[in-house]
Amino acid sequence: MAKQFLYVGKGDQAITDICDADSFVENKIGDSRLDAELAPGAMVGEATLDGELVTVIANNSKRPNPRFRVVYNGVIGMEECYKFAQAMYATIEADKDKPLKDKRPIVLLIDTPGNSPGKVEEIVGMTKGTASYQFAIEDARHAGHPVIGMIVGRAVSGAFLCHGLLSDRILALPMKYGTIVHVMPTTSIAVITKIPLERLNELVKTNPVFASGAEFFYKLGGINEMVEDPKDMKNAIKRNISEVRKLRLEGKEDQLGIWHRGVVGAERGGRAKRLNAITKMRAEYEKLLPELLD
Amino acid sequence: MRMIWEDLQDKSFYQATARERAFGLVDKGTFKEFLGPRDKMVSPHLLVLGEALEFDDGIVVGVGKIKKHPTFVVSQEGKYVGGALGEVNGAKMSYTLRLALETYEKMKEKYGEVPDEKKPLCIVSYDSGGVRLHEANAGLLMHSECMELFYEFQNKVPNFSLCGSTIGAYGAQGFVCMSADVVIANDYGRIGLTGPDVIQQEVGKDEFDASDRALIWRTMGARSKYILGDVDYLIKDTIGAFRNQIVDLADLPMKKISRSRHLGSPKLVEENLEVVKLAAEIKANDSKDLWKYYGNDNPDELPELPYDKFISTVKRRPRAI
Amino acid sequence: MALTELNFEFKPKDAKTLVDDWSHTGIVSSGDIEVLLEKNDSLKGAAKVHIITTVVGFDNVWETVISRFIERTGLSGVNISINDNAATPAVVIRRMQQAIANGGGLQ
Repeated sequence: MAKQFLYVGKGDQAITDICDADSFVENKIGDSRLDAELAPGAMVGEATLDGELVTVIANNSKRPNPRFRVVYNGVIGMEECYKFAQAMYATIEADKDKPLKDKRPIVLLIDTPGNSPGKVEEIVGMTKGTASYQFAIEDARHAGHPVIGMIVGRAVSGAFLCHGLLSDRILALPMKYGTIVHVMPTTSIAVITKIPLERLNELVKTNPVFASGAEFFYKLGGINEMVEDPKDMKNAIKRNISEVRKLRLEGKEDQLGIWHRGVVGAERGGRAKRLNAITKMRAEYEKLLPELLD
Repeated sequence: MRMIWEDLQDKSFYQATARERAFGLVDKGTFKEFLGPRDKMVSPHLLVLGEALEFDDGIVVGVGKIKKHPTFVVSQEGKYVGGALGEVNGAKMSYTLRLALETYEKMKEKYGEVPDEKKPLCIVSYDSGGVRLHEANAGLLMHSECMELFYEFQNKVPNFSLCGSTIGAYGAQGFVCMSADVVIANDYGRIGLTGPDVIQQEVGKDEFDASDRALIWRTMGARSKYILGDVDYLIKDTIGAFRNQIVDLADLPMKKISRSRHLGSPKLVEENLEVVKLAAEIKANDSKDLWKYYGNDNPDELPELPYDKFISTVKRRPRAI
Repeated sequence: MALTELNFEFKPKDAKTLVDDWSHTGIVSSGDIEVLLEKNDSLKGAAKVHIITTVVGFDNVWETVISRFIERTGLSGVNISINDNAATPAVVIRRMQQAIANGGGLQ
């Protein structure tokens, strides 16, 4: 079957296909209104999933940022990061008086080729933008909102780090639908590391640690669940929302998020040496603990 | 194994190895390394690829003391594979942070409130280009682990970023670095997300000429970051100077140490967004445009001024802290 | 594109050993090595050398350089572990000397 680029560059289409018909209201979250002029490519707002109110965060690749020339085609720049962060805080604010079980979920629809690699971004601090968004996601999780990342297109390097990797759960469509999950293509890794491409392609078969693709990330635990059929996305997201909510209500925070994905990865046989390292460090630490607490 | 702590205090931070920095930053004789060279925990992936190995996988982690504070240290070695992070050295970094947080929680159990003069500290000495491409997926995951822990550190574990080694804090390490309470740098420090070569490659030479050293320094270098408020303390280039800066702050209540934070709240989102909007409004195309905006009438001279002159005359972006 | 592993054992005439239990020096940057010395009493006057190098075909050079160094200094009763990234013999000798110094010298 030929590869189908179902949602690459079409984050808006993903919103339509996943959320209830005509339910998405852009730039509105609770009583907050977000600035439509700011980060036009950052699509944030409210929608419903089978009637349940959710915050949606996506990229619209067709709306370049008129102020930052490197921000187009779904690139997440500084304004985009801060707008995403504002959407997190607006979500927290909207539900601040609701009990844990009623905190609205946040759905990240992931299709971004990267953070913007521009000069003015480096001068002003792209670093702070992406970190601010990541801390805002953590704030939302800690306030009790289930955060689900759904990879529908490109989930590349630093942009995946800010837009997705810190979610409670990450789901992905398989590679055959055009999803791309990696730091950079194997061809570029070959150029930079000076390792022949044939050698890398050979190793990719047995070692998911530098292979490109959602299935390899799944083996490492970096993705919790593969959604084999795009039609199942809504149900998979809904199920994960209720599972996350349940775990959070039971106080099982340690079964959610990035550290838990390390555990999941180990069960799937990924990052074995990481576990060795951690186990040894733990033993060394425990010997020192009494004097550290003194 | 010997290292003369007194000699390390006067040693150039820029020239020091990761291990020298780690030993010298904490009190004399207190540093205990986790997974040191004798454990020979090398990268299994570099081994398969036939790349040179290092027994510590290019990172030194451990715990020492600064006064009464258990002080967790992560020190990256930029001279080994660019300090970049993969499975083993990544686990060493993120798990050390986890142990720092755990020590805080244990101390809280023991004392009720963690005493200001005993609270655990975390120091990261950055010298890394970010993700190690040879094991890129593992490198990506460890960065998120660090970010989650740095989030948890807030209002608990004072978090110091040190920048002033050969590589800088680049790639994903750039934003990990900026997530600290306090950022300390010498004149060699550099912080960025996208390195000069990548900008040139991705966008073009008209956007960034990666061979222009002066442009690199004024874009990513510590002096510009100091003017724009990303670097909190610009200090002299000795291990002792970095150490003294931390010693000065260590006993302060957490609230005071956190005042220099650069991100992590709605208020800071708005503060940072203001600078982004300003850069767009004045069409800043060079860091000098912003230096000038914040009151420096001599932007061409700033990079060349002797350190003392620079510190005493430079105007910085005002922050409400 | 594979790493080469070399193993040697030398017994200097005038055997001396390290003062400290262990010693380490060097960063494996391009053209450099790291040296780890670990005391091992069971070696009884011998030095056991383990080298991992990115360079192929220099086995004899390594053997000559290390054996001469050990004969000259008497370094023994230790495991010597080296990671090499194409260092020259001059660099190797300098790092070996530094490793001994970091370990408190020989006795």
